[in-house]
Amino acid sequence: MKRRQTLSAILKYFVLAVILLFLLFPLYWVLITSFKTNMEAYAFPPSFLPQAPTVESYIKLFTENNEFFIYYKNNFIISGVSAALTVLVALLSGYALSRFHFRWNAWIVAAFMSAQMFPMISRLISLYGLMRGMKLINTHAGLTLALTAAMLPFSIMLMSSFFDSVPVAVEESARIDGASRFGVLFRIVVPLVKPGILAVGIYSFLLAWDDYLHAATLIQTDSLRTLSIGIALRYLGELSYDWSLINTISIVGTIPMLLLFFFFQKYMVKGLVAGAVKG
Amino acid sequence: MPKAMTSTRRIKSATGDKIFSLGLLAPAILLTFVFILVPVIDSVIKSFTEYKIKNVISGAPGTWNNFENYIKLFQNDKLMPAIITTFVFVFAVVISQFLIGFILAVILDSKIRGSRFLRSIMMMPWVVPTMISGMVWLWLYQPQYGLLRYLVQVVTGGSVADFAILNNPNTALLGIGIAALWKQVPLTTLLLLAGLQSVPSDMLEAATVDGASALRRFVSIVIPYMMSVIKVTVSMSIIENFKQFPLFWTMTGGGPDGATTTLAILSYREAFVSNDLGSGAAVTTVWMLLMILVVFAYNKIFKAEPMD
Repeated sequence: MKRRQTLSAILKYFVLAVILLFLLFPLYWVLITSFKTNMEAYAFPPSFLPQAPTVESYIKLFTENNEFFIYYKNNFIISGVSAALTVLVALLSGYALSRFHFRWNAWIVAAFMSAQMFPMISRLISLYGLMRGMKLINTHAGLTLALTAAMLPFSIMLMSSFFDSVPVAVEESARIDGASRFGVLFRIVVPLVKPGILAVGIYSFLLAWDDYLHAATLIQTDSLRTLSIGIALRYLGELSYDWSLINTISIVGTIPMLLLFFFFQKYMVKGLVAGAVKG
Repeated sequence: MPKAMTSTRRIKSATGDKIFSLGLLAPAILLTFVFILVPVIDSVIKSFTEYKIKNVISGAPGTWNNFENYIKLFQNDKLMPAIITTFVFVFAVVISQFLIGFILAVILDSKIRGSRFLRSIMMMPWVVPTMISGMVWLWLYQPQYGLLRYLVQVVTGGSVADFAILNNPNTALLGIGIAALWKQVPLTTLLLLAGLQSVPSDMLEAATVDGASALRRFVSIVIPYMMSVIKVTVSMSIIENFKQFPLFWTMTGGGPDGATTTLAILSYREAFVSNDLGSGAAVTTVWMLLMILVVFAYNKIFKAEPMD
């Protein structure tokens, strides 16, 4: 019995190690390559620790051409504004869906749910023409609106599950004391759903940061491009890649997301679990 | 008299509620309508017309062309291979993702040292942007300097010296599948872990006292309790993989020899590389129908199980 237990414990730790190695080693590999010279990165067999660590690629990325920073800055602006807009709209709609139960709710929920399932390319084929008509093509405003719309369905469902957990009694007493509807919403209910706001905000920031297709189809001017598409067109187009630089870009492009995740993981994890299990 | 007053007030407040609720919903409805529902319907309509880039520029509406977009896609033998590739990819990745995620979740749920820390760091690949995940694996797979080539050389004792997973039509899809798993296993694990933690422990203890084996407890208590979480997790992963685009586009662009051309790649190619938006819309319409069918069938299969 004792022996069987030890065996199963060993097996457990072995499987755990294999899966964690699969998940984490690639990131380690990218990180160390970003500190290697190209000479060393191309060495065969490869070195598992940088022999002569250098920040050459980082300096190169920061100084050689500033396109990367334009993409990076654009990505921050677009993700930040889309996330803020998503939070605001989801706050209003989530509250409406959670508090008022009208016959149209079912239809609206159904529309949001199906909106989540449509292939993005299907929308983009048409948006390309439609947004030309609305003078929104090739603008950050257009990109932000299209991204916000794409993130809304899940965000609204998530937000409304947070409102569900706020007791109605709190609002009723405030109403009796003469507070207006908006007053009740913004001064009393909103402070109670702060975790929800954080969860939706971070989730949308993450999704917007990840966007590739919207920017690829709706933006044509290089200086308006965002990170993913900018990198793909500028650094992956040539035949021989500068791999140290590419790995440096991977690190620099991921760091904001990692920071966000490690600072707010409590809210994100709770929010995602709540949203997924309910939605 | 007071009774009448409260009733008018109630009516007033009910209409007030209606107006207020609709007002709150208006921005979301407007955005969803303009940027999602209208474009999707419009692109279904365009799939039945000859609609190319020149129509976009001149603003001329497409002309009805008797299902030519669809017929051409079938005749050129483009659509069926893409459908098959998409299904193979979705099926293989969803199953592996679920299994790996479940195993990891069960291990992290058991009493191990540092499980809190591990739960947190195992999420890292999930926050890596998809495009960058593609670059991470492109580097690992790199045909001359990549780590995988080296590892395969070591494992096979030098008999396979030039392993280039993405350059071979037989292995390219596997290569992308591994990258997709890497990015998506963490979220699956996280959700399943939340499901495992919702299983009441006193019930498990009672079953243990009654002499139920670990396997028996797992099948009769843990799985039924987790059914709704499993259902959501798997359906999220089906949708995610059905839609996958950036990984394919950056890693292989649909090649080699069309081996990784999924419906996403085919529709993008038709619409934005060949500039034939009508044909691209035909692909996305077929794609959408298949996705609805799959999700519908999936819900039907899972309906029989107890939920919530």
